[in-house]
Amino acid sequence: MSAAALLRQDASAMADAVRGDAVSAVALVQASLDRIEATDRRVNAFTAVLRERALRRAAQVDASLASASGPRTRELPLLGVPFAVKNLFDIAGLATLAGSKIEREHTPPRDDAALVRRLESAGAVLVGALNMDEYAYGFTTENSHVGPCHNPHDLTRIAGGSSGGSGAAVAAGQVPLTLGSDTNGSIRVPASLCGVFGLKPTFGRLPRTGSFPFVSSLDHLGPFARSARDLALAYDAMQGPEGRGPHDPGCAQRAAEPVGAALALGTQGLRIGVLGGYFRQHAQPEALTAVDAVAQALGASRTVELPMVEARRAAAFLITNSEGAALHLPDLRRRAPDFEPLSRDRFLAGALLPAAWVMQAQRVRRWFALRAAELFQEVDVLLAPATPCVAPMLGTETFTINGQRLPARPSLGLLTQPISCIGLPVCAVPVWGCHPALPIGVQVIAAPWREDLVLRVAHALQQQGVAASPVAVAATAETT
Amino acid sequence: MTPSEIEAYVDASAAALGLKLRPDHRPGVLRYFALAAEFAALVEAVPLSERDEPALSFAPVSPREKAQ
Repeated sequence: MSAAALLRQDASAMADAVRGDAVSAVALVQASLDRIEATDRRVNAFTAVLRERALRRAAQVDASLASASGPRTRELPLLGVPFAVKNLFDIAGLATLAGSKIEREHTPPRDDAALVRRLESAGAVLVGALNMDEYAYGFTTENSHVGPCHNPHDLTRIAGGSSGGSGAAVAAGQVPLTLGSDTNGSIRVPASLCGVFGLKPTFGRLPRTGSFPFVSSLDHLGPFARSARDLALAYDAMQGPEGRGPHDPGCAQRAAEPVGAALALGTQGLRIGVLGGYFRQHAQPEALTAVDAVAQALGASRTVELPMVEARRAAAFLITNSEGAALHLPDLRRRAPDFEPLSRDRFLAGALLPAAWVMQAQRVRRWFALRAAELFQEVDVLLAPATPCVAPMLGTETFTINGQRLPARPSLGLLTQPISCIGLPVCAVPVWGCHPALPIGVQVIAAPWREDLVLRVAHALQQQGVAASPVAVAATAETT
Repeated sequence: MTPSEIEAYVDASAAALGLKLRPDHRPGVLRYFALAAEFAALVEAVPLSERDEPALSFAPVSPREKAQ
């Protein structure tokens, strides 16, 4: 199989091919760079391509394979796999933009982010930085500074956000693995709209050291891929306490709890509930069809409810609005016109929120976490739509759900915000056939620290053909 | 909050913070503040007691960690 053909497989297959000497790391990384070159003019997923660094690193991988340490290198789980990261992850020598114009002026970091280092230690090769909503405050990646990211399955539509480039690069077959961040849905929304798998681990699982913060109380980092087994490979490679200080104060520094071996356990014996109430009232028919298809495949017929879901979303909104704005207050004072017009006024308003509202939101959040823990005594896994609808057209201002006209951009996170508010692990799985041409995601949710369960379910759904993540045809049009 | 209460609060708190709101930014700020006020009403309606702790934690930093 040629390197270009291999690039349409998942990361696990690529690592196996490098391991078996069927392809070199350099050839695989070159194929990824060629694919980016051929497609990114239309997709706009990348804000920087690290050609020289990537080819140098891939050559080091090949040289190591041919050396005395070859047997040990051959065991690396992501051997020669090209990957890319949302441009809020530090990359040595490259300004960490976090989607902004303002950060272009800042000194580039000397080191890579902790998770970039961990993936490269596992054999992966960083090829670039990815488009996102400014300072991660958005769900559409209609970035006014560098242009919008286009959905590879329909270039006239959004990729979702704020990790839009991370979802689109995987869907376009540019790389098989990316990293993004999720504060209110920024992994799960683009995963849903781009038709790829996305993992938002438990809050505090993965260290955020070396990434540009948005809301310290709510920020999570996690991977995107075209298979659940790839998410598990990447997730296992990124777990574990930090060795070097200062540490991420939001990271629990837990010992690694690898999930790869658990994927084959299947779903038998798992108690699976479908979230009702709010989660069905705020979804269009295609989102409900996707959840029902997943529930049917898993034999899940029980509907369960979380109390006061609107207030969960409200708590997440207030904490996000206030913390995010406080972080940027000096720039909001000095140079508000340099902010992204789509989120600037929201940031300005957030700087003014009374402290009592925010503290109440933090107390409510704890109360909700306790209520969810009670529910998880009765069920192991919960299902809910990831987005209320399939990818809207670029520039969409409003959409209608259950007869209610809603502002499109903030409402894409209606179904993800109440879950990340209390830090639960979620795998977004892509489902097809609910819309004539576009995918939509389903959230597979578990109790804190049970990423193993959400990945087991995601893997089983992929094995059954209920979830799938094909490389986009639209991105391939015209060239290659 | 009524629209006039929101305007009064936004203008006063922006002045207190040294945040000059440009005329073309102010309508959007008022709109988003009103949205936050609606969300605040939702979280204030959750029945909490004085014993309900916030979801905040602080980890003291030991000299050993800093030296690592």
